[in-house]
Amino acid sequence: MKWMQFLTPVASMDAEEAKAYMRSHKEGSYTLLDVRQPSEYEKGRIPGAKLIPLPELAGRLRELDSRKPVIAY
Amino acid sequence: MGGRSRAAAQFLAGQGFDEVYNLKGGIAAWQGLRAFGPAEMGMTSLSGSETPQEVIVIAYGMEQGLADFYSRVSAMTKDRNVSDILGKLIGIEEKHKDKLFALYRSLEPATQERDLFEKGIVSDVMEGGFTGEEFLEKNKPLLDTVENLLSLAMMLEAQALDLYTRYAQNLEDVQGRSVLHDIAEEEKGHLATLGSLMEART
Repeated sequence: MKWMQFLTPVASMDAEEAKAYMRSHKEGSYTLLDVRQPSEYEKGRIPGAKLIPLPELAGRLRELDSRKPVIAY
Repeated sequence: MGGRSRAAAQFLAGQGFDEVYNLKGGIAAWQGLRAFGPAEMGMTSLSGSETPQEVIVIAYGMEQGLADFYSRVSAMTKDRNVSDILGKLIGIEEKHKDKLFALYRSLEPATQERDLFEKGIVSDVMEGGFTGEEFLEKNKPLLDTVENLLSLAMMLEAQALDLYTRYAQNLEDVQGRSVLHDIAEEEKGHLATLGSLMEART
């Protein structure tokens, strides 16, 4: 039996690119989104990140501005 | 690791977010640590103009994959609580397959027996896919802890949720839409279950 993941193309940044992006863009002009669980967020996060754990994402889309770039981790 | 955020980024892109990036390597890479992300296997590129039948078959193959993944992981973990919960999730994914098959049949009344549907139509579409063994082999570095396994499971569930959400919105058939919507709600529930399992352990 074979199976597949459902993947659609997604742009990515590596850590260096993300750091450069954040240096060159004003805070608030983009959303840095942490989709891990709260306990992981408590242990360590990237400064300025907004926490929405993956299980809650579909129900909390209204908290995000769809016109702003989102960097998810 | 990047599995959950990649799935999140893909979900947001499907919900009208214009510019979404996945941070490769996640927080570990950010902190300068070596990071390993899950293998991207069996890319299904959908154009958006698939027939409902095609979408149902892809979803069916994905449900098969989820159930297969859970049963393999369940056999690997010694944690009784985790394997009990995975067992329940397998049962629900099996019900999703029943619902999808019924929906397929309502659109294609000439469809043969379930067995033939799986071996014929579903198998054909999954031809370029991978087996459960291959998936685990490629993701070996992520199988070391229960947390990583749960994280992989959440990635797969979020991909499923993305598929159902996208197509429930597009489907013109009202009854079909409501079936996909119901399944999407249950996948949301699975994500929440996996999230609290993870929370209980960390």
